[in-house]
Amino acid sequence: MSLARQRWLKRSMWAEVQRHLREFSSPILTGVDGDGYPVSIRCAPELDEAQRVLRVSLPGWTRIRKGPASLLCHGHNDLLWNLRSFLVRGTLEPAGGETWLFRPARFVPGVGIAGLAGMVRFALAKRRTARRYLQRRGLARPRIDWMLLKAMQARARQPSTPPPLPE
Amino acid sequence: MALPIPAEVEAVFREFRTCEFSTLAADGTPITWPMLPFFRPSTGQFMTTTSIGLPDKAFNIRRNPRVSLFFSDPTGSGLINPARVLVQGDAVAPDEVKTSIGGFENEVMLVYRRQPSGMMYTSNPAIRWFSDWYFMRLEITVTPRRILWWEHGDVFSPPKVVETINVG
Repeated sequence: MSLARQRWLKRSMWAEVQRHLREFSSPILTGVDGDGYPVSIRCAPELDEAQRVLRVSLPGWTRIRKGPASLLCHGHNDLLWNLRSFLVRGTLEPAGGETWLFRPARFVPGVGIAGLAGMVRFALAKRRTARRYLQRRGLARPRIDWMLLKAMQARARQPSTPPPLPE
Repeated sequence: MALPIPAEVEAVFREFRTCEFSTLAADGTPITWPMLPFFRPSTGQFMTTTSIGLPDKAFNIRRNPRVSLFFSDPTGSGLINPARVLVQGDAVAPDEVKTSIGGFENEVMLVYRRQPSGMMYTSNPAIRWFSDWYFMRLEITVTPRRILWWEHGDVFSPPKVVETINVG
């Protein structure tokens, strides 16, 4: 890839981050702790336009390490609808005290942020991914028991049925 | 085996609609997406699923079982000023595509009750063709190893911690 194209992609990615980040008040930053497990925290990132980084404050309990990290923004309403999400992959580096710099590297759209066209593209792409998953294992595309699902939905709509809890 | 956690933390596991589920990609980047978690008090484990249209979580787990579940968004839970909880643990994601809801009836019912608009994905043949991949699922089981919680949600204060949990 040419240097010019790399620069264009970086500018474009930063613009996406800027555009969508302002719609969410507390993104989730996830890094890796000293034991190698993911560790997440809600944060309030400040955009540093000059350096094209996000400045975040992380408390010491996180034991977070310098290195790969990601930033998730997502939301839903009380009925788990109006889903919206996107993820930014990047790296995390200490900047003194509790301040860290998150350097975005890749914008990954989730659901609900690219309109109807984006939703159609998302569903078709996932349909193709599912087909590849099955093909690589020599499996036929399974049939879904839609009637059974409809029956479950009818039961779920009945207000008199006590809501079940797993186990 | 019951987890050594207070009732208010267990209430979060039961009532939060989503958690932020993190797995580790091949290059070590933690990849986090919202998920619907199901807590199983009898084993102290969490069950969730992912579609084979979104298999990266399962691929990541098969490569590196370290995961986390962050319960940070109480929207829709009905809980007042609940705790926020971070669960770190080890996951398994067997390569078995499930399309039957046998054994998952309670979870499916719970999802339809909590997300009634999700019924649109089965509403007519065109949408069913378009979304059948969503119902081809891989099961993920998470065994907690460390649980951190903040009683009133202030995650910048030091958490309460339960370490090296022996369940599963």
